Amino acid sequence: MADDGLLIDVKDLVKDYPIGDSVYHALRGVSLQVRRGEFLAIMGPSGSGKSTLLHLLGCLDTPTSGEYSLAGTPVHKLSADELAELRNREIGFIFQMFFLLPRSTALENVELPLIYAKVAPAERHKKALEALQFLKLETHATHRPNQLSGGQRQQIAIARALVNKPALILADEPTGNLDSVTSEKIMSQLAQLNAMGNTLILVTHEPDIAAYAPRQVRIRDGLIVSDETVAARRGGDA
Amino acid sequence: MSAALSKEQIYGFWGTVGELLRIALQAILASKMRSFLTVLGIIIGVLSVVAVVSIMQGVFAAFFAEFNQLGADTMFIRPNYEMFKSHAEGAKRLKMTYEDALAIKDGAPQVKDVAPFLMRGDTIAYRGRRDSTQIFGTTEPYLTINNLNLTEGRFLGPMDVASRRKVCVIGQDILDKLALPSQCLGEEIQIGRGTYTIVGIKEKQGGSFGQSQDDQIFVPLTTAIQQYGQESADSVFIVAQVRDATRMDDAVDRISQVLRRVHALRFGQQDDFRIFTVEQVKKIIDQFTGISTLVVTAIVCITLIVGGIGIMNIMLVSVTERTREIGIRMAVGAKRVHILYQFLIESVTLSTLGGVLGLALGWGIANLTVIILRKTVAESFPPAYVPFWVVLLSLGFAAMTGAVFGVYPAVKASRLDPIDALRYE
Repeated sequence: MADDGLLIDVKDLVKDYPIGDSVYHALRGVSLQVRRGEFLAIMGPSGSGKSTLLHLLGCLDTPTSGEYSLAGTPVHKLSADELAELRNREIGFIFQMFFLLPRSTALENVELPLIYAKVAPAERHKKALEALQFLKLETHATHRPNQLSGGQRQQIAIARALVNKPALILADEPTGNLDSVTSEKIMSQLAQLNAMGNTLILVTHEPDIAAYAPRQVRIRDGLIVSDETVAARRGGDA
Repeated sequence: MSAALSKEQIYGFWGTVGELLRIALQAILASKMRSFLTVLGIIIGVLSVVAVVSIMQGVFAAFFAEFNQLGADTMFIRPNYEMFKSHAEGAKRLKMTYEDALAIKDGAPQVKDVAPFLMRGDTIAYRGRRDSTQIFGTTEPYLTINNLNLTEGRFLGPMDVASRRKVCVIGQDILDKLALPSQCLGEEIQIGRGTYTIVGIKEKQGGSFGQSQDDQIFVPLTTAIQQYGQESADSVFIVAQVRDATRMDDAVDRISQVLRRVHALRFGQQDDFRIFTVEQVKKIIDQFTGISTLVVTAIVCITLIVGGIGIMNIMLVSVTERTREIGIRMAVGAKRVHILYQFLIESVTLSTLGGVLGLALGWGIANLTVIILRKTVAESFPPAYVPFWVVLLSLGFAAMTGAVFGVYPAVKASRLDPIDALRYE
């Protein structure tokens, strides 16, 4: 199994949640491998377990049983603080609700992961500004989230996900709160990120959005029901 | 793909603390009114303590200054009121007289001079103007023992005392109070029901301990006794000056023997008088300072506990309100200690700022109080004085309160589960 290109190796992942006296089986044994540079969409209806899988892949949670190794690190064996460090170093999150700090400027929001990575202020500003420049938002660096449009907020979140150059970018319904034109723009930017070599996992229930990813994994009732590589629809500059 | 950082790029513990401090200030300033209300308890606590202590310290400083001025070679003798349950009962039952003073002068060779004196508040009048002041009935050595000087005329002399003359020496304040003419020597003023001729004016002395030392009139002791009756004759105080200040204890012992003999006290019977030297007064003041410091410290503790509970309450609300923020920070890599320190530093910063505010307000209120007291009670009320230890103590306590009462909310914040925190609506 030693494969230099292998980023994610999940084996028989099980996640149970106690609900009162009974147990809810969110994941019933998921196995998945993702190579570096892949763009993968995880699809499924609500309650299928896709959010649980995302949380586990994002190192926000630990499995009940099974193994998960991210870039060679056995995630299922880590403590809460080690998980935090791994998230900081290896994972960039993009959420449906953007999840920006409302009191901080765009630049400060982008800098946030670097603060916890203990990067010195000057270096931090430089990197955050570069990330904003990549998304052509450097002119909005001093704006606060409530002064920006939904699309711009999500772009700030993308910049924040990129800034620490993580091994994996996780996007959870990134266009869920955006109109279709803005959604296309965001998706084509994500596709562009993937084209530059970033590994991207997208969680969505919208087939249109999932269509941007060449590999589509369907999940239902805590199990993977299909995993197929298709010809991706590369979003142009529409 | 993780970024390789050089040593200069990674900055350590203090960099992180600085970062958390910046975050804390941002949070505090984002809701100024709430921050202010949160630390109101601390502000009021520190404010009241600083105001009280600074006024008290001012009084103490002035009191010490007065005794320093008095000199190490003088002592003050009064009845031992402490023998009785109340001062009033002591004043009624105990006697100290002009004769006691004369006996000391005769019987204690260590003593250079003795001045008995009695004090009475009384009305004064001059050409229809009426007021009131403190009347001192005394004898001629009072002037030199207390290092007093005159600007005009003379002090009370032996003949004034011997023949109960109705003469007086006035303090500077009396000139204004009675609107006396500039050449007032020889003028007659009313003191109570007696008419006195002004023979001297005392030099301006200033005042301390809330009592102007220029709002006084001196009359012969014998004349005062005649005017105020037998009761006044039995409640005389005595000041004595020794020849050699280094042999103060000898003088005190000797005076004690003399007074015990004059008062016919049997062996083993308690002294019915008390002798205070400057050293003893200082000791008493130190004791009083110690007690008041204890009381102040107790007040500090109580108010800061109350203030601390206020801080804890709002910090708990703040943690709940900012659950989403905590989730975001955790998602991008904040460890538990980062969240813990963030909220701990926020509550310490908040309470320290409250302490600073309380200190400034307390200082302001103390000075305002002194100004008001000077206008209403005593012109010579000493200025407020904030010793450095009070600054350190109040800021230290404020910061400590923030730390102690901030721990629980901060721990609560740091124990949040990242997923729950992100999902929190």
